[in-house]
Amino acid sequence: MLKEQLQKFFKIDRRWIFLLLAITLFVPIMKPIGLPNKTISPATKRVYESIEKLPAGSFVLFSLDYDPSTRPELHPMATALLRHAFSKNLRVGVVTYIAGSTGLIEEIFAKVPKEYNKKDGVDYTILPYQPNVLAVMTQMSSDLYGIYSQDRNGNPIIDMPVMKGVKNYRDMSLVVSVTGTALLDYWVAYVGDKYGVPVAGGVTAISQPGYGPYLQTNQLKGLIGGMKGAAEYESLIKQPGKGTSGIDALNLAHLLVLALILTSNIILLFVKYF
Amino acid sequence: MSETWLIIGGWVSAGLTIFLFSFLYKDNPFFKIAEHLYLGAGMGWLFQVSVTNVWLPKIWEPVMNGELLVIIPSILGISLLTQFIPRISWISRYGFTFMMGYGSGLAIPAGLSTDFLSQIGGTIKPFSMLASMTPFNIFGSLLVAGGTICVLFYFFFSVEHKGHLQKISNVGIYFLMIYFGAAFGNTVMARFSLLYGRFDDLYTYSAVKYFYATQVILVAMVVYFILHSFFTKNKKDVSEEAA
Repeated sequence: MLKEQLQKFFKIDRRWIFLLLAITLFVPIMKPIGLPNKTISPATKRVYESIEKLPAGSFVLFSLDYDPSTRPELHPMATALLRHAFSKNLRVGVVTYIAGSTGLIEEIFAKVPKEYNKKDGVDYTILPYQPNVLAVMTQMSSDLYGIYSQDRNGNPIIDMPVMKGVKNYRDMSLVVSVTGTALLDYWVAYVGDKYGVPVAGGVTAISQPGYGPYLQTNQLKGLIGGMKGAAEYESLIKQPGKGTSGIDALNLAHLLVLALILTSNIILLFVKYF
Repeated sequence: MSETWLIIGGWVSAGLTIFLFSFLYKDNPFFKIAEHLYLGAGMGWLFQVSVTNVWLPKIWEPVMNGELLVIIPSILGISLLTQFIPRISWISRYGFTFMMGYGSGLAIPAGLSTDFLSQIGGTIKPFSMLASMTPFNIFGSLLVAGGTICVLFYFFFSVEHKGHLQKISNVGIYFLMIYFGAAFGNTVMARFSLLYGRFDDLYTYSAVKYFYATQVILVAMVVYFILHSFFTKNKKDVSEEAA
């Protein structure tokens, strides 16, 4: 009798689980619990240190290649990375090879530079979307201005103070690729390894395990993975943002999944052996 | 962007999100509308990106400025479209030839160096520095090297996997399982993050500033499902009575 009752658990309409998950994720948004994010992974710390050790005025190239489909994971980390770069008074160049990123980049730059009193053309420049990433990467190795003569507003970049002394990868201190695609692989293979430019990355949690080998060999200077990584970076720069606020919801959702896995396995064992 | 457009954007965003999530309950016309709209908008966006970011700056403007050399790669690109006309589809081979040559020339050396030689080097290099390493790092290096060998052996099929060789192969399977477990765990986390992102937006659009877009659309959807279920039940009852 009890066994039959327990077996009903496995026939539960999955829509109840969807509802439970929706409530679990929605409640912390409405009323944040403030669960702590105490662990900071070494890979995230390495990205932080790569930027932290750069002298003021160094040129850092940000390749922001994500669209709204991966925005919850990558937008907070891109924002945190740029905040860190501006707080260190680094010169920032932004490129993108995903057309859908352009709006998201504008969204960040409408807000973040003002927080640090940074000016377009002087402290940062946003270059326009370019198709055919490999051709662009190859061209930038010899002469950046051969492929990017103007910024996204059509202003010539060669005379901009932000681009002073920057002609190709040799003049860049770091390349940071935040992407929901395989573009970080390209930055490592076609730029980092080939021209000796330090490359760091920020990727979705799905892609994160695949970059372990690059981290081990130091081909990648550091890696931020998913919303958890974004929250870690926000902790490091001491500026909580969307990544940190998402940790409550993620923690609770993970607990729910663990509870469901454990419950179903305990029931399964009980049904099988008792 | 004006306030009105922000509010309209909020309603569209909240509406489309709820319409798409409604499929989790059951299929409905609102889901279909959102699905078709997504495909149409995606295609439209891709078309305008191709025209404004590729065709205009890379072909039209250079040609207008007298840089006629861009016509050659343009013709090679257009040649790919002949695939759709069987009689002259052979022309597309010229375009593909360039793409293959260019792609292979770039990818093969980079792939060999980055993913093959550097990775082999990275696995072996720690053994040349054992004296300066901590016991934990030595253990880590041995684990990486041992794992690499066992997994590679699992995929080596020219020797029958039995006896001790079977054990090496089995260890390789455990390493693979650990990787798949980590990858799956991260996938779950990534999906929850995306869901959190949508819910966070829905919460934003539930504010008075957006005239309670989320609540209004959600209630409207619930009312639709109740009415739909009521009328289909009535229809079913009538047809059963007629039968």
